[in-house]
Amino acid sequence: MITIELLLDLVEKICVILVIAYIITRTKIFHEVIDNKFSVKNMAFIILVFGALSIFGTYSGITINGSMGNVRDLGPMIAGLVGGPVAGLGAGLIGGLYRYFFLGGITTFPCSLSTILAGLFAGIIYVLNKRKFIGIIGAVLFAAFMESFHMVLVLLLAKPYPEAFAIAQELSIPMIASNALGMLIFAYFITNLTKERKTTKERDEYFDELQRKKYELQIAHEIQESFLPQEMPNLDGYDIFALNLPAKEVGGDFYDFIPISKDKIGVTIADVSGKSVPAALFMAVSRTILRAKAMGNSNAAKVIEDANKLIAEDSDTGMFVTLFYAILDLKNKTMEYVNAGHNNPVLFIRKTGSMECLSAKGIALGAIDAIELEEKKVDLQSGDVIVFYTDGVTEAINDKEEFFGQKRLYKLIKSHSDLNAEGIVNTIKKAVVSFSQSQSQFDDITLMVIKVN
Amino acid sequence: MKITENIDDNICNLSLDGKLDAYHSIELEKCINKVILRGCINLLLNFQGVDYISSSGLRVVLSSLKQLKKSGGKIILSNLRPYVMEVFEISGFKQIFEIYESEEEALKSFKV
Repeated sequence: MITIELLLDLVEKICVILVIAYIITRTKIFHEVIDNKFSVKNMAFIILVFGALSIFGTYSGITINGSMGNVRDLGPMIAGLVGGPVAGLGAGLIGGLYRYFFLGGITTFPCSLSTILAGLFAGIIYVLNKRKFIGIIGAVLFAAFMESFHMVLVLLLAKPYPEAFAIAQELSIPMIASNALGMLIFAYFITNLTKERKTTKERDEYFDELQRKKYELQIAHEIQESFLPQEMPNLDGYDIFALNLPAKEVGGDFYDFIPISKDKIGVTIADVSGKSVPAALFMAVSRTILRAKAMGNSNAAKVIEDANKLIAEDSDTGMFVTLFYAILDLKNKTMEYVNAGHNNPVLFIRKTGSMECLSAKGIALGAIDAIELEEKKVDLQSGDVIVFYTDGVTEAINDKEEFFGQKRLYKLIKSHSDLNAEGIVNTIKKAVVSFSQSQSQFDDITLMVIKVN
Repeated sequence: MKITENIDDNICNLSLDGKLDAYHSIELEKCINKVILRGCINLLLNFQGVDYISSSGLRVVLSSLKQLKKSGGKIILSNLRPYVMEVFEISGFKQIFEIYESEEEALKSFKV
């Protein structure tokens, strides 16, 4: 009976200690100690606080022959396990010397010694465990072992032996159990704290990463935007309109109009591989190279083949750009074109109501050093419509994971060929956006329409 | 993206399963770079399980081709599904890659 009461008393005492210990674990200084930042201030804090806990733990419930069952060793053990030998020994000395000088009884010497050794041993365990907290199981086993050792010291050093034996018999189970229990809960606090701090750190890192990504996307978007034509060219006999709807993660699509001569204008639509800043930068480079090569040059194949050489030199990472380039002869109403691996634009022929795919043999720019492109030519007549697009249009996905596809696109063009260029572009855009309504727009959508008046 | 690696006779055979879009292509790139770093210069990519490839995916295979060419190696593709094949056709990549219908044919071509 008396053993159970003693145990309950000890548990009560432990609860007070644990509340204090819990508050300690929330302090900045304790966090620094966990991170192995041992300043003089931090060490003093740990030694004093756990030394004070040790004194508090001394005053537990029941006195037997002048000796008390107690959790005095708990404070120094914790100090040692989280702060090393100096912290453990320091807290142990406070508790131990207090016991030695202010309380009496036959066990004075073994009990004081045990408290000091508890702090020291805990500190040694900390060092042996590569200056880390040993974990829940290790800490509890250590506490149980230490209290058993405490009892052995009482048996060896307290005189007379029969009284020492009586005390050990009475106290050993409550003391081992209560100290082990106290250590279990405290170790649980510490592992939780460590986990919590890890989670917080990961969350912060993730958040930083997200911020960076967002910023990158904005930059990519701005680069892309600044390299697109600000306005549509005003051409005699032709109506031109183009649109770029960048995806959240910019894909590096572009279109351009390049003056060649009084009667000729170069038009292009292109799609750079990859996404975000790399794609946007590659788009800027490709567009600049293309402009430089195309201005004033009316040989479409030569322009793009030369541009490819320059682009390929810069592409070690496998970046490439698919590009359709056409030279519109305004006077003769013809269009010469080459296709460097891009989606084939489509020509709606008003007279026959048929659709013609503007394909030509070629390869994406930047893939290999030297390319040869097939050059083709079409005649244009009043009412004809040419639609240029990137794969963001045909590969828009709906919630059934179907592509928007060429068929839908062609049908749409056919049925809206009476509209002007801007009207056709907007019709297609609306159809694609509503098709993939429930899905986030994954790729840039770029469209260009030329209508012959 | 699931990538199954199989090394035999100095040829590294990667079986790909999934979508090769902007996101998943990074996994393939990392995997190929690791293989190349280990010194393997003969690469076979089996596209049997790939039902979609974007320009990001093409970039990864192209970059591998460029790297392997420099070190005297080879990259061969096999088992392309119709949609993926179409992408290779449109982009013109069909002209610069060795592509075979089956893994057996692809493996034979390494030995030539």
